[in-house]
Amino acid sequence: MANTFKLEVITASELFYSGEIEMVVVRTLLGEEGFMAGHSWACKLLDTGVMRIQESEEKDVKWAAISKGYIDVKDYVVVYTDLAERAEDIDVEDAEKDKAEAESYISINESNCNTDADVEKLAQARAKLKWAEARLKVAESLK
Amino acid sequence: MASNNMQDIKRRIKSINSTEHITSAMRLVSAAKLRKAKTTFDKTTEYFHFITGSMEEIFSNTKEVPDRYIEGNREIKKTCYIIISSNKGLCGSFNANVIKETEHNLVNDAKEEAVFVAIGSKGRDYFKKREREIIGSYMEPPEIITFKDVVEISAPILKQYEDGEIDRIVLIYTSFVNNLEQKPKTVQLLPFRSEQFAAAGDIQSEEMPKMANQVEYEPSIEDVFGYLVPKYVEIVLFGAVIESATCEHAARRIAMENATDNAREMLDKLSLFYNRARQASITNEIIEVVSGTQAQN
Repeated sequence: MANTFKLEVITASELFYSGEIEMVVVRTLLGEEGFMAGHSWACKLLDTGVMRIQESEEKDVKWAAISKGYIDVKDYVVVYTDLAERAEDIDVEDAEKDKAEAESYISINESNCNTDADVEKLAQARAKLKWAEARLKVAESLK
Repeated sequence: MASNNMQDIKRRIKSINSTEHITSAMRLVSAAKLRKAKTTFDKTTEYFHFITGSMEEIFSNTKEVPDRYIEGNREIKKTCYIIISSNKGLCGSFNANVIKETEHNLVNDAKEEAVFVAIGSKGRDYFKKREREIIGSYMEPPEIITFKDVVEISAPILKQYEDGEIDRIVLIYTSFVNNLEQKPKTVQLLPFRSEQFAAAGDIQSEEMPKMANQVEYEPSIEDVFGYLVPKYVEIVLFGAVIESATCEHAARRIAMENATDNAREMLDKLSLFYNRARQASITNEIIEVVSGTQAQN
């Protein structure tokens, strides 16, 4: 049996996940990264993306979409994220709608961003798109 | 004369009776609200403990924290006080305690300029009347403040801190001891006091003296702390708002309970007076009748 460690995933509104696990894979700002027991201590910022949790003595990997945050790796691991959604809770239609909306906004407005407000709106749309994509990807894992 | 007095007492009994009805109803309402707020509070402290714990451990490693977040690296000229009070009165000394605590702080740091951010109208009104500069206020009832609202409240304050317009951020709120006791509390959010996280640091250094220097930061130390510090402030602030809301209900419940008890006590006394006055008037009448018949004989 592989070594396990304690993982806690916390959002602003709840304790999202807590348990003994073998491995967690998250998307850091520099790319996807997996953490197993005995990893050297680290503190990394996370991007919007998919989080995969390999629980001990479970075959299946648990998927969840998370949006921004940080991971604190010590003898145990704490993940803080602004938003988190489990695969089974994701509303695919809603995510697809968000994705389409964000895509159309970006394609229309990308070339004419003049004010700071425009730039910010575009960044918001991009974040929305990323979040929708992450959610769709996670939802797909159930199929 | 006597009947006049009796009527007065009767009127007072009636008015106190209705006061008693109101206060006891309010007591029940705040007891229910307190229970609800307490559940939220317990839930949030449970998981916020993990996150503040984890952040404090990171911050305890002071060598890595950028200088601008550590006390002693810049002169403190302007302090921003974040004051969490309630929107409604009738909660005993709840607001007065917070204000007293703030005034106490102001006296201690009299040399510094002070600006205020008020969450809850009672605190805002008090400092507005005293012509203090209020740079932000949030007036929604504390139960419905969400994390997003807290982010919006803290964003301008954090920006001013980063820009050097504010040199210190102090949070004053009511902390929950138990259902009967709440204490005003002052927390310095920024800059960090070096002893603030010493406790978390001690555990770490005893267990793994060398590990502390080997933490990997990604993408860079600067970025990590640039993200973590504001998050920490937001989370602590959010926790304080929830705690303060719980305290408000607890304080109101006690205030209303006392008011109900007092009203009942007063009713007892008044009904005694009323009966006495009634008895006195009866005695008077009898004396009049008796002395009347005696005079005839």
